[in-house]
Amino acid sequence: MKVSLGTSLVLHSLVLGLALVSLSAPASFEVADVEAVPVEIISDTQMMQGDKKAPPAEKPSVKPTTNKKVVDNAQNSGENDVDLKSPPTPTRKPVQNETAAAQKPVERPVPTPTEEQNQVKDVVKEETAPKPAEVAALPQPKPEITPPIPKPEPTPPVPTPAKPEPKPEAAKPTPAPVQAENTSDTGELPPQVATPVSKPTPPKPEPPKPEPPKEQAKPVEKPQPPKPDTKPAETATAMDSKATQSAPQTDKKDGKKQETAKASSSKSSDFNADQIASLLNKQDASGGGAKRSSTPVSTGSTKPSSGAKLSLSEMDALRGQIANNWNTIAGLDGLKGMVIRVRMKLDQSGAIVGDPEVSSSGGSDNVRSTMEASARRAVLRSSPFKNLPSEKYDSWSEVVVNFDPSDLGL
Amino acid sequence: MEQVGLAAAASEVSLWSLFMQAGLVVKLVMIGLIGASVWTWAIVIDKYISFGKAKRQFDQFEQVFWSGQSLEELYRTLSERTNTGLAAIFVAAMREWKKSFERGARSPIGLQMRIDRAMDVTMSREAETYEARLGSLATIGSAGPFIGLFGTVVGIMTSFQAIAGSKSTNLAVVAPGIAEALLATAIGLVAAIPAVIAYNKFTADAGKLSGRMEGFADEFSAILSRQIDEKLQPRQAAQ
Repeated sequence: MKVSLGTSLVLHSLVLGLALVSLSAPASFEVADVEAVPVEIISDTQMMQGDKKAPPAEKPSVKPTTNKKVVDNAQNSGENDVDLKSPPTPTRKPVQNETAAAQKPVERPVPTPTEEQNQVKDVVKEETAPKPAEVAALPQPKPEITPPIPKPEPTPPVPTPAKPEPKPEAAKPTPAPVQAENTSDTGELPPQVATPVSKPTPPKPEPPKPEPPKEQAKPVEKPQPPKPDTKPAETATAMDSKATQSAPQTDKKDGKKQETAKASSSKSSDFNADQIASLLNKQDASGGGAKRSSTPVSTGSTKPSSGAKLSLSEMDALRGQIANNWNTIAGLDGLKGMVIRVRMKLDQSGAIVGDPEVSSSGGSDNVRSTMEASARRAVLRSSPFKNLPSEKYDSWSEVVVNFDPSDLGL
Repeated sequence: MEQVGLAAAASEVSLWSLFMQAGLVVKLVMIGLIGASVWTWAIVIDKYISFGKAKRQFDQFEQVFWSGQSLEELYRTLSERTNTGLAAIFVAAMREWKKSFERGARSPIGLQMRIDRAMDVTMSREAETYEARLGSLATIGSAGPFIGLFGTVVGIMTSFQAIAGSKSTNLAVVAPGIAEALLATAIGLVAAIPAVIAYNKFTADAGKLSGRMEGFADEFSAILSRQIDEKLQPRQAAQ
């Protein structure tokens, strides 16, 4: 028996030892850390925008904006002109003007700046087909009219200023008078259009002009229309020696301008990649909303409130309801300087939730406990409180009312 | 009763720490149950060995007995040593027979009765040794779970008291105390289950052995009564 007892002991110690080693620490369950998180459901009306880093204040407010432009119905605060939900990108500033709009004026100035050219254009467009007819008409007047009209005009200045100048004037002005007449004849041009046969003739008479080599058949016409306008200017400037030189230049310039105008108008119908590229807005949009803020930055108060406090009259009404239910105890001494403070929690209907907290200060101890008890009774009796504005429930959900017994007529 | 250290329990749930955290009562119950388990297995081992040995001796003796060897000679060799089982019965019967014959038995019936008595006494004494300690196996088998349950109830009581004190119903606080209390029931079952199985097996084995002894005793008493008749008949005839 001793032997078997010994073997049994040995076996048990072996088994227990094994159990201590192998079963020492059962593997704990792999449980995801799902600690209950209190969730509060907030309605839209309770949500307010504030700055997290700003000091607390009654009302939350974001950083004041400098942009004065008011965007209607903007929801997201920011400096942007467009209400965007994306947060403002710190690296980019809001775009003030769009590049697409800026580019256009650059192109158009060529035709627009002077009225003369506008007229030219019109003429050109209308007469693209009849060009030759006009050309045919033009050369004829040149020899006849040019000499008489320009000469008398330039001559007066000639003697006084410089000699070299008259020559160029004489040469160049010549076309001008012709055109002057032409301009007056512009109304008559259509009849001339009827005679297209004179095409070959125009090139020959024109060569004498300085401009023709640069300009082809079309340019010939163009210089003529502008000239009528410029001519008066020239005549005026002709009086001044300096102006005389500038006159031919302006003529040339006009010619060139007309050319460019023509080129652009002819090209305008074509697809122009550069033009479209210039129209594209290559600036990245900056994020941010368009809601403006003028109040200083704040993070708002810790307690969600609409910021509305009970007004004095509402507070008085509440106090009055309690006072009405207050059974005054006659003949109490030691009320002087006593203040009774009642702190209570109310539900939406105005009924008291839980136990009102009554405390008092001042006065004698006995009277204080008596008054506290009567205050408690009065508060409980006047529950539920009426006429409390429901939209300000946040501010009166927990309310503190102070009583001065002397106000209650005690 | 010791206050259960629930705070520390949260981190450690090993077997040893469970035991050390348990209250005094639970600890005593556990220690007692472990002791019972040790005792159970000691008995199991002892009985297994002794029953096996007895069975072999029975076979050996029966082989010798029925080999046709002279009973006188067999008695002379066996009487010199301590005998168990069938040999003990044989030796007891032969001793009584010899004593009666040496003094000159007068009645064959009285001799037969005396031999039977001697064999019965020896047989019951042998059966007693076979069934010794099987009762404790039965006790451990039936009472072990209850003792373990008692330890569990006490342990859970103390752990609930501790939980009430800690004012937390977190499972991490509740679980270790209950686990430690349940350990007592587990040890009770560990001790009781083998005890019950062993008890059933060894009572059956003991019953078989005593059955064999009874059979041998009957056969041997029949042989002896024939011998008595043969030896007393000529003596009576001579008279």
